[in-house]
Amino acid sequence: METLKEILSPDFLLRNSVYTSVLVGFACPLVGVFLVLRRLVFMGVALPQISSTGVALALSLPLWLGLKMDASSEQTEHLLAFAGSSAFTLAAILILAFMERRGRGLPEGRLGAAYVVSAAASILLLSKNRFAEMGWLDLLKGEIITVSNFDLELTGGALAFVLLILGLFSKELLFVSFDRAMAATLGKNVLFWDALLYLLIGFTVSIAVLSVGPLIAFGFLLVPALTAHIFARNMKWFVILASVIGGVAAFVGFWIAYAWDLPVGPTDVVLLGILYALGFVVKKIAALAG
Amino acid sequence: MNPPIITLDNLAIGYDGQAVLSGISLAIARDSFTALLGANGTGKSTLLKTLLGLQPAVAGQIKMNATGGTPVFGYVPQAIQFDPLYPLTGFDVALMGTFQRVGPMKFPSRAEKDFVRECLHATAADEFAKKKFSQLSGGQKQRVLIARALATKPDILVLDEPTAGVDVAATHSLLEFISQIHKERNLTVLLVTHDLPLVRKHAQQIIWLHNGAVLHGTVAELFTPERMAAIFEMEVG
Repeated sequence: METLKEILSPDFLLRNSVYTSVLVGFACPLVGVFLVLRRLVFMGVALPQISSTGVALALSLPLWLGLKMDASSEQTEHLLAFAGSSAFTLAAILILAFMERRGRGLPEGRLGAAYVVSAAASILLLSKNRFAEMGWLDLLKGEIITVSNFDLELTGGALAFVLLILGLFSKELLFVSFDRAMAATLGKNVLFWDALLYLLIGFTVSIAVLSVGPLIAFGFLLVPALTAHIFARNMKWFVILASVIGGVAAFVGFWIAYAWDLPVGPTDVVLLGILYALGFVVKKIAALAG
Repeated sequence: MNPPIITLDNLAIGYDGQAVLSGISLAIARDSFTALLGANGTGKSTLLKTLLGLQPAVAGQIKMNATGGTPVFGYVPQAIQFDPLYPLTGFDVALMGTFQRVGPMKFPSRAEKDFVRECLHATAADEFAKKKFSQLSGGQKQRVLIARALATKPDILVLDEPTAGVDVAATHSLLEFISQIHKERNLTVLLVTHDLPLVRKHAQQIIWLHNGAVLHGTVAELFTPERMAAIFEMEVG
């Protein structure tokens, strides 16, 4: 409990890391529910990895252009990483969504290839970058120990924007996801709403990857939504429960990691996995109990 | 006969600019009950999608003559097409019928929700409206989907094989119900089906697609022994 008190203290040295982790934990499942409902789970795997490639490429650009990067240019570096992450994620999601709509080829194959090629490209880009060890690899691994006020504000602002758009247009986004033919007959611009949803997913993924890394971003995108789905009686509860599971798991994960000196991201994901398994067990017991 | 609500003028339908059916010229009368018949692959779904504006016509024209301009389609798709992953209740699904009137950044008012409850009551679906849509039987889902279509305040109720996956008793009761609301509300109904006995009992007009031809007429005109023999010989052949 002493550890918990320490984490909750306003003077806690790593408070920005806790806030960032919890923000990502609350926000990712909000778009993750759409990935689950639209059966785009593989896209949830591929996108964070593609986003990482964007980060690696953006961070390599100054080196290729002969620009000097030192400790004082941290904000520029993070803005560059954000730009690279967003550009790659948004481009990838729009291309993959377009190919999905055409309905040709093998979607799982495309996503698998995108995942493995982008993972390899990230490693190649950083292996040729002599500044990679200056903390950039930590960024790609999702090291959430040192988060500056600027990073926290960027994450908070971006996720608040996603939340606002999702809140305002949840009706339309759900309608075109559930029954696009009916939505079209009632005059809804299905392409526009699809594009908006994909942009929101891409934007959230790029923010999450920068804050917590690709593996953990994927975990927060999908596992809370899958866990909440076990208990969801309606859409509202599905979304709220998924977000609460993500946020609470992020906080508890940080607490466990800090108390036992474990890496935060993997602790969060394993905790989410345990919650998912427990969800199944509880559901089974409830069903047996009648 | 009432004036037409939809007129097809030398219409050609198909995909990617390739016509699968052409030269379709007919009119669907306001307040009529029309059945769209035809074997699989004759172009029923393509014609339906074209009428609903889900895909463009290859050639020709569709003229709509609703009171307020473009008619509102109360579309009832096949219940089996919906993904059971969505944790939506019957009420949530029926509420979607109001989403044309309730624009972006707005949420359905209490009056709209009350209207949806009325629609669910009218389709005898209010009992199971709070249950998950994915857990309802085929007949119950169809009633919710018809309630959703009524919630659009439609000019035309379009039902795409509403009895697919529905047992015989529920099929009978569903068609009786559709006939009843057609008469009570003077609603134009376009029913896509394979079920000839149901068509004979409930429909007034028939559009029959087969082997690239489009027959249009009343039940009395098309369901004659000579016509039926000719049609089925063609279908078997």
